[in-house]
Amino acid sequence: MDKSLYVVIMYILTHIGLILFLYPGNIIDSSSQGHWIPIVIGIIVHFIILFLLLTGLDRFPHQDIITIYLRAGKLVTFLFLFPTLLYFFMANIITVRAYSEVVTIVFLSNTPLWAIMALLLILSCYLATKGVEAIFRTGILLFLFLFPLICFILVVAFQNVDWHYVYPLWNDDFSFLTDSSYLRSFFAIGGVFLFIGFVRPIIPYKRKKVLLAAVALIPIFIISVYIPVLTFGQATASTFLFPFVMTVDAINLTWLMFDRLTMFFLLSIVIFILLFISLVLWMSVRIINKCLLPTIKPSYLVIAVSLIIYIICLWIPNWSDVEQLFKWNTSLRFYVIFGVPISIWILGVKARKEDES
Amino acid sequence: MRCKKTGIWLFLFLLVFMMSGCWDTRDINHRVMPVVLGIAKDSDQYKVFLQIPHPQLDIIQTKVVIGVGETINEIVDDISADMESSVDLLHVKVIVIDRHLAEEGVKDLISGIMRSRDVSSKALVAICNDDIDQFFESMEKNTSPGGTTLLDFFEKNAGWDPQIALTRVWQVYRSIHSYTRDVAIPMLRLGDTTLVEHVGSAVIKNGRMVEEINANETLLYNAFNGESTQGKIEVLNEGSVLILGNTMKHTSDVQDGKPFLHSKIKLDVMILETKGDPTPKMIEKGLEKLLTGRLNRMFSKLQVSEADILGLGQFFRKEIPRMNLKEWRSKYYKNLSTDFVVDVDIQNSGNLKNPD
Repeated sequence: MDKSLYVVIMYILTHIGLILFLYPGNIIDSSSQGHWIPIVIGIIVHFIILFLLLTGLDRFPHQDIITIYLRAGKLVTFLFLFPTLLYFFMANIITVRAYSEVVTIVFLSNTPLWAIMALLLILSCYLATKGVEAIFRTGILLFLFLFPLICFILVVAFQNVDWHYVYPLWNDDFSFLTDSSYLRSFFAIGGVFLFIGFVRPIIPYKRKKVLLAAVALIPIFIISVYIPVLTFGQATASTFLFPFVMTVDAINLTWLMFDRLTMFFLLSIVIFILLFISLVLWMSVRIINKCLLPTIKPSYLVIAVSLIIYIICLWIPNWSDVEQLFKWNTSLRFYVIFGVPISIWILGVKARKEDES
Repeated sequence: MRCKKTGIWLFLFLLVFMMSGCWDTRDINHRVMPVVLGIAKDSDQYKVFLQIPHPQLDIIQTKVVIGVGETINEIVDDISADMESSVDLLHVKVIVIDRHLAEEGVKDLISGIMRSRDVSSKALVAICNDDIDQFFESMEKNTSPGGTTLLDFFEKNAGWDPQIALTRVWQVYRSIHSYTRDVAIPMLRLGDTTLVEHVGSAVIKNGRMVEEINANETLLYNAFNGESTQGKIEVLNEGSVLILGNTMKHTSDVQDGKPFLHSKIKLDVMILETKGDPTPKMIEKGLEKLLTGRLNRMFSKLQVSEADILGLGQFFRKEIPRMNLKEWRSKYYKNLSTDFVVDVDIQNSGNLKNPD
């Protein structure tokens, strides 16, 4: 049965969760004018790696990344799956820590961090123990509830824009390419797309539809950066930690019964992030389960992994350390988001040649 | 069966963790929520006024609480400690700043508000042109039983008029950092027969008040910012008219580093009263002359103070590279030559025919 819709919705939700938080701030910091250039470069990279991964996977019907690597030999498995696992771990630690910090900064300033982190992890751990199908079905439900709200917020956020802030459009200075905040913005671009390589045997999907989902994300990438820039101007927007949140804060609708839309906006984003965390938990446990410890029940592993993540999260003292971790993770992230699709693509080409000969 | 039961227990257990969202919570009846926040500065210390509504049987009465201290947060904290309930600034709708403080600069104050997010960045900002102690004293005494006067004064569906600037905290914050945009903040004082009186607007540049404009000029400021001027009555020698709508068109040009702006403002009006027998042409001409003169006067005044509240720099973002845009106020704005053309169109003359 074709379950492309599940994958498409999950693809959109998890990406929205990542895009609408740190991505606008990273892009605005990296370049002072012509923000569409870094955004478009990011989107092109996104499409290239997605296309490579999908094309490579097409050569191996009903197999996920892990089996493909395992068939290719121990060295390849170690070279690509081990960093992927490490990356997933880091990604989860950073996400849990960063988003709970965000929650305290923005609205629960009296709540201790450990409680928020526990909440985030327990919910996503529970979801992950139920398996990937449960995660995807939850995704559908959340999509129906929250996506209209997000769309509404994205539309009304245009309330305060001053289109003159679009200019200057062109930027001769390409130094942003090596700027650390620009490199960090790739967390939103290459953060989750790998899951389409993992769910293949359980949730089959069509290649074209996943690419369509990625196309649907393009406006969100652009809007998330341009709404703050158009509302505040680059000079002001760059002083904010979360420019998009500030923009949502400035929305003023007298006929709306809720005074602050920010709360609803943030809650939906955090819920999307829960999905993301549980998905990444499930993927890392699948790697451990298939390569290292095949005898242990996956649900126990999920709990163990969440516990480890929780303990490490407790160790991180403040926001600047989170950012530091983000920086360290960048090189690993680039290795994984480029290495995995390219290697899968190469393996695919090789498999085709073997088939032909 | 067993599995289901553990599931239920697990779910109930999870609910315990949901409580982390209500940590240290205080019930709504143990909170006071001021709607108006007044801030003044005495030598080195801030003085904070909180106007707190508290509902009585059928009416809402307000009381004013005053505190003095080094920082706003400290004062609110002190007030909170002294009161029987905790103070929650989440619902502050209007921030009234003392004129002396505005002249000294509100950069730190506004940045603090944006940083802590206690006060909504949507709150309106006003400047008190009177003695702020007296201002709040009479607020407490004379506020109508229905609610808070100041809030209604700014409410678009209540007492707001197009000649009053509507400036929010985030706009003030933007003006502090933006290269090409300043704001005007409405100035109030105690009225003789009405509780508050609108005296015009303060021009804020980089967080400091540098100039004043009157109500008529504020109307033009609002028109430039896309706020509708509908409903404002203009009185001229030939009679009076009601403004129904306005549209604007700007063309900008930079030659040899000298900016030039051509603005065409189109106004739709309706004739209300006439004095003598002016022709429609005369009324149109009269209004055009009146508004063009007013615009030019206001602009030259603003040019001297280097404050770009009309956001004219926005029209030059295409022509001037970003590097130089930083110097917009000091270098370009001074040399900006403008050509304001007001084009009045009489849409109708009410129930009576046009005078010929």
